[in-house]
Amino acid sequence: MSVIRPIARLISPLVNPVVFDFWAAHFTPALSWERPLAKVVAREVVARDTVTLILRPNRHVRQGLPGQHVNVTAAVEGVRLTRSYSPDWSSRRRLALTIKRVPEGRMSSWLTQRCRVGDVLEIGPAFGDMTPPDPAQPWLFLAAGSGITPLISLLRHAAEQRASTAPITLLYWARTRADLCFLNELGRLHERLPGFRLHTILTREASLLPHERAGRPDAALLAELVPALDGQLAYACGPAGFVGAVREGLAGKVASFSAEAFTPPALSPVTESQPVRVTLARSGRELTIPAGMALLPALEAAGERPAYGCRMGICNTCACGKLAGSTEDLLGGGINPEPVAALRLCVSRARGDISLDL
Amino acid sequence: MSKSVARQALSAAEIEQFGAEIDALRERTLADIGEADARYIRRIHATVRYTELAGRGLLFFGIFPPAWVLGTLLLALSKILENMELGHNVMHGQYDWMNDPRFDGKTYEWDIVGTSDSWRKTHNFKHHTYTNVKGMDDDIGYGLLRLFPEQRWRPFFLGQPLYAVVFALLFQWGVAIQDLRLGAYFAGRISRDELGEQFRPIGRKMRRQLLKDYVFFPLVAGPFFLPVLLGNLVANGLRNLWTFMIIFCGHFTAKVAVFPKSVLKDESRGQWYLRQLLGSSNLRGGRVFHILSGNLSHQIEHHLFPDIPARRYAALSKEIQAICQRYGLHYNTGSLWVQFGQVVWRILRYALPSKPASLEGRSLVSD
Ligand code: FES
Repeated sequence: MSVIRPIARLISPLVNPVVFDFWAAHFTPALSWERPLAKVVAREVVARDTVTLILRPNRHVRQGLPGQHVNVTAAVEGVRLTRSYSPDWSSRRRLALTIKRVPEGRMSSWLTQRCRVGDVLEIGPAFGDMTPPDPAQPWLFLAAGSGITPLISLLRHAAEQRASTAPITLLYWARTRADLCFLNELGRLHERLPGFRLHTILTREASLLPHERAGRPDAALLAELVPALDGQLAYACGPAGFVGAVREGLAGKVASFSAEAFTPPALSPVTESQPVRVTLARSGRELTIPAGMALLPALEAAGERPAYGCRMGICNTCACGKLAGSTEDLLGGGINPEPVAALRLCVSRARGDISLDL
Repeated sequence: MSKSVARQALSAAEIEQFGAEIDALRERTLADIGEADARYIRRIHATVRYTELAGRGLLFFGIFPPAWVLGTLLLALSKILENMELGHNVMHGQYDWMNDPRFDGKTYEWDIVGTSDSWRKTHNFKHHTYTNVKGMDDDIGYGLLRLFPEQRWRPFFLGQPLYAVVFALLFQWGVAIQDLRLGAYFAGRISRDELGEQFRPIGRKMRRQLLKDYVFFPLVAGPFFLPVLLGNLVANGLRNLWTFMIIFCGHFTAKVAVFPKSVLKDESRGQWYLRQLLGSSNLRGGRVFHILSGNLSHQIEHHLFPDIPARRYAALSKEIQAICQRYGLHYNTGSLWVQFGQVVWRILRYALPSKPASLEGRSLVSD
């Protein structure tokens, strides 16, 4: 391993990374000159519509901390799509991704139904602040749906380290019992983490078992399930609505609160006059522009100077990356809710708040 | 009354309707773009790689004439495919929707001495936006040839049959320096330093290409240095000739029109489409021929839809021809030999003085 880097650096001026990757893929699919790739080595259905993929990363993938997220990119019907998932790193050479299928979700459907052993995914650098909390204080974890994934990594990490002697409570919401992931593992976790307590809360289950609960995450339910809230380090992960409700229910009662919310892409039908927020990731600027206007003139009116040529969608000079948000192609290309590598500013307009690589 | 350049004079309203039909066709095509196009460009990329490997591999045995000939032809084929169906089309952003860094229009770097960045400027922007507008589109004669009576004759042009041959053989070098402001330098409008500054990235690319084809691979061949070097030289030359021929047939056949700058004023999308149609010409041929031309044999469709994957042009051309027929517009197409014959005729004819033709007052709209 240690000899590869200096040799690679020495010959790199001679190497065209794309050509290298083309030939390398004939031998080992995840071998690449510079791209962080990982090969799927196993696949397991872990709950209804939920699949765990075990991946073997190449040397460009950098291991993240338990609880962090990575951007995962896969080619779905010819288009490379990117979504964030929270992987579980069992070692530098192995990580597990657990994906729950979102109805109509192109990426999650592909990952859960079409992705097979041998396929290659691209794994971006890890990000996020839900890293292992102070082991001496009591932890309160709140998960809804696939929000369990960063929390299970934190729990596994704690179990391995046997670091936490303080109590850990996990409140885990799902629609039905069949939607719960990692149930066996969670059920056995107290063997290794004596202070661990699990509550499963099901919102759509017809008949509940004695240890199960029903109900929304409001202050009353939270207070009932966790009698001593003060002093707890609370971590919540789930859809935006869930995180908002939990934040409200716990406000002022816990020692600290951190959360990660994921929102299914909202097809926001903005009206033309409505202002939208544009975040420029490189300069860090935030501006407000009218939704009806093409992005190039709108950005110029706000004092930006993006590169341009034809101003009519043919030369590609104005193209820049779109990191998030929905845009409409004014030359008949329809609405695209996906992040893209090249968005032509002169013939696109925002369909809601967006973030650009400018 | 202004003189219309369209054979069939169209009113402003008719041109808008014509444009709307093309827009509708565009929308229908865009909606269908997806996996098949992605698979296609990946296959083209793979073919470029395989033919290059086979070509370079055979050239190592270039001491045997059949291996040398076959190796050179395969390498030329690889370079032609890379420059045209892959590089040219990818740099237009035709495959940007794939989000694949390998096929990203803004960053793709192709296998010729010219830099992709200068190409994106001279070609994607200037040539495609101002197609055949005199004084705006540098591709009209590349500042070297007089191809239209509307260009003023100078004694210099008497030698153009010769320049054209040299230009064809060295086409990649012409493309490389097209954006260099040599004219401005010789006229004393920019300094030597400014020119040097402009030349730096081009010089770097030239060095890289020269090292690759004329030093690195010949050296790898060891004792067979010379056959490899010659093979690479001939392969580059064949590619130059082929691209020259295809590109000249795209805009310099007998019936293409040039336009005065005045057409750009308040030009509508419909008028822009019409100008692309009247300023371009197609080549007839089989499937392989179209692929080798990077589908620039469908120059008209390429100019109407520069950002749509080129493999779609063949199907689009049927529809465009039908639209043209409805509007009584001439659809300029012919075999390679007929069209190239017309190009050669232009090169020879306009080397000689001719009655100056004026673009004054010409417009796309008749009313
Ligand atoms: S400026 Fe030419 S595509 Fe936008």
